[in-house]
Amino acid sequence: MEKKTGNKVRLGIFVSVTIALFIVGIYFIGQRQKLFVDTFHVSGIFTDISGLQVGNNVRFSGINVGIIEDIQQVTDTTVRVDMQIVEDSRKFIKKNAIAIIGSDGLMGSKIVVIIPGTVGKRELSDNDVLATARQVNLDEILAKLKITSDNAAHITGDLSAIMSEVRAGKGTIGMLLMDSTFADNLDAALVNIKQGAGGFKQNMDAAGHNFLLRGYLKKKAKDKTKTDDPKPDKKKNESKLKN
Amino acid sequence: MAIELKIKVSAVSKAVGKPFENLYIKTLRGFFEEITRLTLFTFRFFKELVKPPYEVNEFLKQAYLIGYKSIPLVVITGFIMGLVLTIQSRPTLVEFGAESWLPAMVAISIIREIGPVITALIFAGKVGSGIGAELASMKATEQIDAMEVSGINPFKYLVVTRIAAATIMLPVLVILADAVSLYGAYVGVNLKGDVSFHLFFLEVFAKLSFTDVLPAIIKTFFFGFAVGSIGCYRGYHASQGTEGVGVASNAAVVQGSLTIFILDMVVVQITSLFI
Repeated sequence: MEKKTGNKVRLGIFVSVTIALFIVGIYFIGQRQKLFVDTFHVSGIFTDISGLQVGNNVRFSGINVGIIEDIQQVTDTTVRVDMQIVEDSRKFIKKNAIAIIGSDGLMGSKIVVIIPGTVGKRELSDNDVLATARQVNLDEILAKLKITSDNAAHITGDLSAIMSEVRAGKGTIGMLLMDSTFADNLDAALVNIKQGAGGFKQNMDAAGHNFLLRGYLKKKAKDKTKTDDPKPDKKKNESKLKN
Repeated sequence: MAIELKIKVSAVSKAVGKPFENLYIKTLRGFFEEITRLTLFTFRFFKELVKPPYEVNEFLKQAYLIGYKSIPLVVITGFIMGLVLTIQSRPTLVEFGAESWLPAMVAISIIREIGPVITALIFAGKVGSGIGAELASMKATEQIDAMEVSGINPFKYLVVTRIAAATIMLPVLVILADAVSLYGAYVGVNLKGDVSFHLFFLEVFAKLSFTDVLPAIIKTFFFGFAVGSIGCYRGYHASQGTEGVGVASNAAVVQGSLTIFILDMVVVQITSLFI
């Protein structure tokens, strides 16, 4: 009889302990899902929620402050996301805070990130609708990157064609770089120009000593000196202003 | 001559084909008959369960034998389960640079699937075979008939108490196995890393939700019921003689384990419809 009672007690202890373990587990899960804390409700209207699910976290200043309570398609382009946020965070989240869809790490699940509003604004009320912003997603970045890489491919293709033509000595630059005859001609032309410029200088010096052009050249030299040194006029103007 | 040969060939093919045909039909018929008998057995269980008098003391005795006596086995296997799963998962997660996900990943695997299924299989091995062998030996030694003669309802006393105890005790054992497995996972994480107990459990519960825990616990009631009812059915309807004891015990384990997998597949399909 005593043994039977002992067995019943042991069984009772075992069952109680495991049920207590289960309740503790349920409590911790419930606490994470904000079941045992005061909360308030806000929502946000998004155009694309990028796979956000009910139960995902709401993050404010890097802290998990709530969870996604419900997701409803409102129109063909808008989705309403209802959030449950802990009461303790209400005082920090202002009316002009912005909600965006973010990601919990590189491989993590989607979350709603609330960007703080401006200090001095009123805090959120129950059932307020948060302003939302669209986060550029990876697909869009990849699409843009594809356009850029396509353009780069075209440019390098063109550049390669130009370089091959230059190497073949075609066009002005090609001729300049690759054609030795052209280089010799250019060299000869430069020598001729140099000689011509020397001759022209000698002619001009001779013309300067000629009585027909001497007066004209002197006048031109005087005008040049005036334009180079305008100080006397400036000083005159300043003294007029003082008076 | 040709006609004679044709007749001979058809006679031979009939003689060879008929036994095989009969065997298939016989096996199929036997299978369906067994399903019908098991269904009727289950109906009888529910009928006897709600009808007084209730064998509370026998139920508690069976709960003690089935549940409490299985603690060491469940604790050891649960601990090893958590430890090994963690050690095996670590290299893959390290390759992806996601080592910090180890507690959450192991916890979800244990709570959702591995804990309930492995514990139920161990339960089928220990308890299912035990029930099958016990009832079969009682049948072989005509103890069940003697009970009927002495005015005791053997079905109520032997079957209902055992099935009810198995149904209730398996979920309790699974909760214990899950808890011990998580501790094993904590030890496994700390074999090559350094994670505090507090941080480990925060990470575990950060990723668990009710949709992970509740369906996993609910399905264990069905597992327990299946193991108990198949064990009792096999034992209660065992053929006479000592050979029947071995057959009943073996069939209880094999069919119980198979039923656990089938039920698990069905439950996973159903829960995936809602979650």
